[in-house]
Amino acid sequence: MPKFILQLDRESLRQWLPLVTLVLLVTLVGVFQPSFLRPSTLLQLASDTAVLFVLATGVTFVIMLGGIDLSIQSMASLASVIVALTVARLGYGSFVLAIAIGVVAGLASGLAHVLLKIPSFIATLAMSGVLASSALVLSKERSITLGELDRGYQTWITGTVYGLPNVIIIGFIVLVIAHILQSQTRFGRYSAAIGAGEPAAYASGVKVDRQKVYAYILSAGFAALAGVVLAGRLASGSPTLAAEMLLPSIAAVVVGGTAITGGVGSIWRTLIGALIITVVRIGMTFLGVNIFAQNIVFGAVLIGAVAITIDRSKIPIVK
Amino acid sequence: MAKTLDSDLAAPDVAGQPTAKVRRWRTASWAPVVVLVLLCAIISVINPNFMSFGNAQRIAQAAMIPLVLGIGATFIILMGSIDLSVEGGLTLAAVILSLLTLNGANGNDFGILAVLAVLIVGASVGFINGMIHVYFKVPSFMATLGTWFMGVGLANALLGGMAVRINDPWIRGLAIERFLGFPWGAWLALVCLAGAFGIQNYTRLGRYIYALGGGEELAVLSGISVVRVRIAAFTLAGVFYAIGGILAAAQLGLGNAQIGNGRLFTTVTAVVVGGTALSGGQGSVLQTLVGVLIVVVLSNGMVLMGVPPSVQIGAQGLMIIAAVALSIDRKLMRIVK
Repeated sequence: MPKFILQLDRESLRQWLPLVTLVLLVTLVGVFQPSFLRPSTLLQLASDTAVLFVLATGVTFVIMLGGIDLSIQSMASLASVIVALTVARLGYGSFVLAIAIGVVAGLASGLAHVLLKIPSFIATLAMSGVLASSALVLSKERSITLGELDRGYQTWITGTVYGLPNVIIIGFIVLVIAHILQSQTRFGRYSAAIGAGEPAAYASGVKVDRQKVYAYILSAGFAALAGVVLAGRLASGSPTLAAEMLLPSIAAVVVGGTAITGGVGSIWRTLIGALIITVVRIGMTFLGVNIFAQNIVFGAVLIGAVAITIDRSKIPIVK
Repeated sequence: MAKTLDSDLAAPDVAGQPTAKVRRWRTASWAPVVVLVLLCAIISVINPNFMSFGNAQRIAQAAMIPLVLGIGATFIILMGSIDLSVEGGLTLAAVILSLLTLNGANGNDFGILAVLAVLIVGASVGFINGMIHVYFKVPSFMATLGTWFMGVGLANALLGGMAVRINDPWIRGLAIERFLGFPWGAWLALVCLAGAFGIQNYTRLGRYIYALGGGEELAVLSGISVVRVRIAAFTLAGVFYAIGGILAAAQLGLGNAQIGNGRLFTTVTAVVVGGTALSGGQGSVLQTLVGVLIVVVLSNGMVLMGVPPSVQIGAQGLMIIAAVALSIDRKLMRIVK
């Protein structure tokens, strides 16, 4: 039975390691900095995680299928630019417009991926170029600060309800919607099936291409929402606003225990992963690590987590 | 047994491969050349200044870095893998070069030793890519996505957000001094191309890279050490990114952590537009030269026509999609992820 126990250990490792890591990290930072465990600080931590979590939630749907979306940071930046440019004229309509553009962009990369049969990392890399370029052209390569009047439209992001920041509520709503999509709908079950074994899913009549396009639409749509929230929090829109968020987002998904080979994962795992990333970031800031240099750690964490979670039986040849 | 299998498979492979491949790919490898010629013709009709010697110099100046980077990436893509760490390797190389050579921030002046050190840094970045990819069995796009950000992060940590001026006349000279009208850097890029062409066609590594891209199972059965070939290819690519970093530092006259921004994009576009297939096994560094010229001529033409530079990334994105869609051999891949 040793092989069975080995497999069990590996499985339970992936199941519980993320949660254990999170608890350990929070305790560790709490020991060094007791004020970290105060409710107000923890609320701040949750607010800071919200944008990352929304971005990571979107890309979770794609990773569950075994694909990847490298355009989320450009989409979020573009959404922030759209909000900053149109909020004065369209009011709340600007948020809808930004998310609608996200949906269209997701549809485009999804179709490029399934119809032209372009590998997802290259299709979304190309899409990220198109989106980044659009953001640069629209914003005339500047950062746009929201005016005093425009900020009135942002209270649903920046305000609080009974002391609870609205950002956390937005994050919670996203969690609920994404969780229902993933566990209670046909789309969620088909995604898991495609990720677990695409030929089998195809053979049992799942419309694989359609599910994939849905996943890319969700990914870009949530990325646009993240951009909208980010624009509200920072009171500005810029073509590079979310440029540094691609790596932490993907790292959050993978650190949570969702395998990049697809099939295994959940939104809860992504939530834990996003919290881990935020705690690590706060810990590093506390230790005085430069925010750009933090990418060294995130890069290493990403590779380590991929190496642990990946299902090698699915890829006989690793390319 | 293993030995006879090896020689049996290897002999017809080496002898039979070129004729079959050349015949099959003649049209596909000439298509980019046709595109390039058409592009040049269209732009020179719109703006006759395109055909001047001064503009040729500008194109050479703009093409030298993408060419060197594209050569490195070609070897990886020929294996059917991808390298997203172009910007990481280049930025780290440029920043370390700016810190080791005669510069405005510290007292170092190591001259040629600095260049050597940078080449070793590039090779190490590639070597690490290869090791992670092969020994942890992490797909190359994930492994190199990690090292991309690690490289840029390390460059940032080294500089702390500053930019370091390079005062070494030899390094500045690569971009400023000219030979027969073209900057030395462009000649250096051509030397790199010749070297890469030699490696690709006349060494075992080159043939093995093609073999891995053409079909890894077969390559393993014919006794090729996949581990060694993959690590060697990534290391080689890392050296080319470091050379790209030296040229970029020379062109800007400084090293900063943003020096690599956008270069991954141009590199992948150039390789793919040149006709090298992402599925591996088909392509050449010479096709990358054509791809680089297409990308550079197009952006040069856009500048001549007054299109803002920020549109170019978007145009390149669309070119990637078009080129990959046209060149992918779909019969080989039933599942596309």
